[in-house]
Amino acid sequence: MASMLEFRTPGFNPYAVKYSPYYDSRLAVAASANYGIVGNGRLFVLGLGPGGIQAEKTFDTNDALYDLAWSEINENQLIVAGGDGSLKLFDITTPDEFPVMNFHEHKREAFSVCWNPIAKDTFISSSWDGTVKIWSPSRPSSLKTLPIGNCAYSACFSPTNPSIISCVSSDSHLRIFDLRTPVSAKYHLVSLIPVHGVPEPQQPPPVLSNGERFLSQPSEVLTHDWNKYRDTVVATGGVDRHVRVLDVRNPRGGPLSVLLGHEYAVRRLAWSPNASDVLASASYDMTVRVWSDGLMMPNAPPPPLPEQKPPVIAMGTQLGVMNRHSEFATGVDWCLFGTGGWLASAGWDQRVLVWDAHTLLRG
Amino acid sequence: MGALDRLSQLGNQISGVSVSGKAKLLEKNPDDIVVTCALRTAITKGGKGGFKDTYAADLMAGALKGVIERSGINPALVEDIVVGTVLAPGGGATEMRAASLVAGFPESTAVHTLNRQCSSGLQACVDIANAIRAGMIEIGIGAGVESMSTQYGPAAVSEFSELLESHQEAANCKVPMGVLSEQMAKARNISRASQDAFAAHSFQKAVKAQAAGLFKEEIHPLKVKFEDPKSGETKEIVVDRDDGIRDGVTAESLGKIRPAFAKDGSIHAGNASQVSDGAAAVLLMKRSTAERLGQPILGKYVAASVVGVPPLLMGVGPWKAIPKVFELAGINKDDVDIFEINEAFASQCLWCANELGIPAEKINPKGGAIAFGHPLGCTGARQVSTLLYELKRRGQKVGVTSMCVGTGMGMAAVWVAE
Repeated sequence: MASMLEFRTPGFNPYAVKYSPYYDSRLAVAASANYGIVGNGRLFVLGLGPGGIQAEKTFDTNDALYDLAWSEINENQLIVAGGDGSLKLFDITTPDEFPVMNFHEHKREAFSVCWNPIAKDTFISSSWDGTVKIWSPSRPSSLKTLPIGNCAYSACFSPTNPSIISCVSSDSHLRIFDLRTPVSAKYHLVSLIPVHGVPEPQQPPPVLSNGERFLSQPSEVLTHDWNKYRDTVVATGGVDRHVRVLDVRNPRGGPLSVLLGHEYAVRRLAWSPNASDVLASASYDMTVRVWSDGLMMPNAPPPPLPEQKPPVIAMGTQLGVMNRHSEFATGVDWCLFGTGGWLASAGWDQRVLVWDAHTLLRG
Repeated sequence: MGALDRLSQLGNQISGVSVSGKAKLLEKNPDDIVVTCALRTAITKGGKGGFKDTYAADLMAGALKGVIERSGINPALVEDIVVGTVLAPGGGATEMRAASLVAGFPESTAVHTLNRQCSSGLQACVDIANAIRAGMIEIGIGAGVESMSTQYGPAAVSEFSELLESHQEAANCKVPMGVLSEQMAKARNISRASQDAFAAHSFQKAVKAQAAGLFKEEIHPLKVKFEDPKSGETKEIVVDRDDGIRDGVTAESLGKIRPAFAKDGSIHAGNASQVSDGAAAVLLMKRSTAERLGQPILGKYVAASVVGVPPLLMGVGPWKAIPKVFELAGINKDDVDIFEINEAFASQCLWCANELGIPAEKINPKGGAIAFGHPLGCTGARQVSTLLYELKRRGQKVGVTSMCVGTGMGMAAVWVAE
């Protein structure tokens, strides 16, 4: 992996890295002093040039930063989620380092933000206060609050439908909200999916395609992402170290496939914008791994088992491991431009690395 | 948004421990404040019960002696004793220090008293827990006592000055409990029938619990002098059961009693707490200390809350204090197995339970102050032993004790049985 670019964030431990959806040479990093436990936050806007990665602009905040999202309507703006529960909209072109908007309703740490990629006029945030909030960048108070009831680690818009919002949380569930449904007692909740799966009483427990049993317990789900090609497929990752690929149309059906290999909690997932079966995961085990979800390949027939036919779960294939981070890997994102396969990753080792996944495949 | 919360959240992500509020509550850590002994005397009727001729300090000495006997603790290791007591002149400070010496504590064990009205016993336990948590002491006793037979009367409150009288809300602080509870019952539409049904249920639960011997573990019997009201002769008796518990009480029988505070009122002697005598004590220390000393752990203290409410609505105290303690402990009402809410009046206890949506079967499963009495300073400490032994008997874990407090306050605490 000769062609790896590096940027250091001295004194700040990155929590998230995101490529700009407008420029192939721009990315942003949300970072926090003292591992985000106590202290300030800093947003880095980075440019890739012939001289490597340069900081084009930084913004400092009073509390830790845990996530960021680029605006989909203004190429110079991005939103960050902070430890004090506030969301701040920064503009790169402002001469000072103050946010152009501040959205403060969450009562505890705001942990994720996502901009609506279709309608582009709203963004969402999730928080440890157990809510997901929907915002307009031009209004100071939220448009809507969706109750989750426990630590909401990550919220996303569907990449194909502007009305569908998903959230994963510490209760081991993936929630799907559809804003087109009437507001009822369920607050637009259309699906509550137990990520750990619920064993069917009539059926033997599921087995993996290698014949081993797959048992799982409820555990905190820290991250998820929608597949960019298959509009009902979501990948989740969390404390139990497994990445699961789920179909939201079948809430009780268990995972379509599982990706096994991480040795600690999975902290961030990102599906490839270029290939429908490829995703990247960043983990507390200090690695970033690139996978194929194992669903596009013809499956080897499951080994025959006598007398019973338990459901079989496909196993994804690990395409490569990036192990250059020397602390928790917390952020990973795919570049949307070029030949495809470029990734940016960030970790608590105070480094942002930009690298080509193809180099992993070659070994 | 504290650093510690973030740290533990991250820690759990790495260790893979689930972090539901209840699971966190049940964790055992060396710095937990644990109860290794909780007991009470019997509670007897004011003016005629077994303790009618026993002074508060003698009751307290008996209970403290019980703590030494039952726990087997070396009394010299107890650094502080707090006694909640409401009616004692001078706060009872002198007598209680003397009582601790009689009970067998050396002069190195400090003693003080406090008065937060009906929550004094709980406040005493909380103060000791906080002193242990802060590192000021290592082992202490939170206790409470009241001899309403010998100290209840008009002298309990001194005259209000003109200054206090000229301030309306301040002047409300001395409105008698019965009168203001009557007003509250009317204002909040708590019917006489529902109060009587609640009160009768308290009696029935207590009768059943007493018959089944469920109070045996918590009651420490005391031998006291008793003057027979008929013959006038003084003899020694052993008091080991609550004598206010009456069998055969029904909502119908209570329905016949005349209201005590207003002609058209709903509150009477049968649906309000009894005037009583009694004492209770709780031995507290860190889990690490208990393990080092080989003390058996009954349960742990988790958190406590105190709130203020309008003086005329003092009965709503638990309604405000309980949600606050839930927030402090990170749990909700479904996580709680038993609520010991003091039955100062059926009206206020019932109202709080209904407002909070607490199912009737979770409240005071062995009856409450309506059935066996409310010795003011004692109650808060008494609830701890009542709660912990019942949780243990049922194999349940999480309990809450709470009470309204005269002059408009409320307290609540979360305990976990082990």
